[in-house]
Amino acid sequence: MAFTDNIESAFETIGKDNLSEVRKTALENFKTLGIPSARHEEWKYTNIKTKLKENLKLVASAESQVAGKAKINVFKAIEGTKLVFINGYFSPAQSTITPQSGVVSGSLKELRSQYTEVFAKYFNKATDSTTENFAALNTAFAQDGAFIYIQKNIKATQPIFIINVYDAASSDVFTQTRNLIVAEDGAEVNIVEDFQNTGGEKTYNHVAEIFIGKNAEVNYTYLQIENKQTTSINSIEAKLEKDARYHISTLTFEGQTVRNNVNAYMEGENAIATLNGLYLGKETAHIDSHILVDHRVPHCDSHQVYKGVLDDESTGVFNGKIFVRKDAQKTNAFQSSKAILLSEDASVNSKPQLEIFADDVKCSHGAAIGQINKNELFYLRARGIDEATARGILTYAYGSSIIDAITLPELKDYLYTKLKERLNIAF
Amino acid sequence: MLQIKNLHARVGDKEILKGLTLTVNAGEVHAIMGPNGTGKSTLASIIAGKEEYEVTAGEVTFNGKNILEMSADERAREGVFLAFQYPVEIPGVSTTNFMKAAVNAKRKHQGLEPIVAKDFLKMMNEKRQLVELDKSYLSRSINEGFSGGEKKRNEIFQMAMLDPMLSIMDETDSGLDIDALRIVADGVNKLKTKDNAFLIITHYQRLLNYIVPDFVHVMYDGRIVKTGDKNLALKMEERGYDWIKEEVGA
Repeated sequence: MAFTDNIESAFETIGKDNLSEVRKTALENFKTLGIPSARHEEWKYTNIKTKLKENLKLVASAESQVAGKAKINVFKAIEGTKLVFINGYFSPAQSTITPQSGVVSGSLKELRSQYTEVFAKYFNKATDSTTENFAALNTAFAQDGAFIYIQKNIKATQPIFIINVYDAASSDVFTQTRNLIVAEDGAEVNIVEDFQNTGGEKTYNHVAEIFIGKNAEVNYTYLQIENKQTTSINSIEAKLEKDARYHISTLTFEGQTVRNNVNAYMEGENAIATLNGLYLGKETAHIDSHILVDHRVPHCDSHQVYKGVLDDESTGVFNGKIFVRKDAQKTNAFQSSKAILLSEDASVNSKPQLEIFADDVKCSHGAAIGQINKNELFYLRARGIDEATARGILTYAYGSSIIDAITLPELKDYLYTKLKERLNIAF
Repeated sequence: MLQIKNLHARVGDKEILKGLTLTVNAGEVHAIMGPNGTGKSTLASIIAGKEEYEVTAGEVTFNGKNILEMSADERAREGVFLAFQYPVEIPGVSTTNFMKAAVNAKRKHQGLEPIVAKDFLKMMNEKRQLVELDKSYLSRSINEGFSGGEKKRNEIFQMAMLDPMLSIMDETDSGLDIDALRIVADGVNKLKTKDNAFLIITHYQRLLNYIVPDFVHVMYDGRIVKTGDKNLALKMEERGYDWIKEEVGA
């Protein structure tokens, strides 16, 4: 790949700061790991080498990424802090931060030198740069992203939105963005991260590290709704301490090639993780959901529900791994993966993987791939609803349950509307 | 309104309808009776446009148009309504949203704008009372967790919402207790006008005590073998179907 050829000189352009050492190590790791080929077990169904454009470059200069004038969705109807990033860099002018004591949110680039202790303790501690190719690349090159830090026993009263907008100015840049989210013991926060592509083709590699302290709660909604020409690798990695609660929903309505790595590490007893996903592919889209729940300690619960809808020639991948380590007795782990294929040319590769080393656990998984139910379709059509709309309504019925589980009411309404738009139905 | 001539149809290799002829005019109520497996429900499905059946001969016209060439949804928009024997449960879609989509599909077909929210709610309220359907059912997923009687009442509610020209009731009475039967029948009687028609498919005479038919047809082995007035239904109830079989010479 072109961008890997001059990776050293690109790296040189990044200034020195408190993360330089971590970055340097990550660069070395990436040079060893490289871009994975389809022979790599985790990339078997997503040949990422062929999906990344030849002319991509790694740019580390904020100045070259001037904010575009495109109309962006800043979720005006919903109250909350809005952190807007244009082409990977924080845009103070378009952001609004609701101040609250004990709630820190803003640009990672700006805040990393101010919160050195927090960064020293958490940065790059949820990802593994020695084994994860794109996490290593990200750690080496990411300059900006969101930093959210909720201090002990603080409940963020309003949701925090991270709004990533890409326009035509960044179409040949392989953008690397990084979030660090820390909820200390007893803290609670609702985070909504949205990606919008207002320009042409876009490629990015985004990493979000999330640390959930004892009895803390993080609800994270990850939205890939208007991203038609986007190729993206997303890694959302969360570590849960004792009694922590984590709820992540990933909604992918558009994208050319989308890889979502959603990893949850259960590191404290009685932690609960819910990982839900809804992905919709059309035309030649390729959407790959790679889920890992790693039960490292006893008495934790995890619950995964993934639903896919694949139309035209789109392809989907579901790879859901549940690891139950030897010590993780009394684990309760559930996984359900469903997909419906709306066309004969659409396909999905579904691979549930349970690796259980403890002997007193409750684990279950189910995978189903099907079509729209014919009787349901006929029932709607018998009332005068045309076939395309009837299919849309049934797809909506199937997919909307993932939205039902999201906690923010105004966000749910927005998502129901977006899902209807995506399926061309109105009621 | 509905003209069926010499209709032959099969599903897979099995011939089910073997030359059925029937004419239904506006303002009429027709009942079709007959033993199990004679093709009554197949007839209902074919008129409504279910795709599993293959029509091998004959014709079906609705207001002069060949409906066999129309999709199920086109037929519905033209004014054909099938009240299902087994209404389908659809989790995730509320009856309200379902009806909004259906009413607007019909309005679009008639060249009308989508219905105004206020008018729609008023209409829903009015029509649900015809079949004593509680308001709460409308916001629930279609038929999900409904009892047999509630499902059938929901069918008649939908019928009322869509105001069809021809309503086909496919064994609507099956599985209904006497109170539900009365509610369903009362609802239908209120919907009857000189401009619409009903085709009631039933195994028993019971429903016909409440909805009085102008014509009763007896179906046997894929054809109508006898036609009479409401007294024929009473006779069927009294004597069963065996004498028909003998008369037909089966």
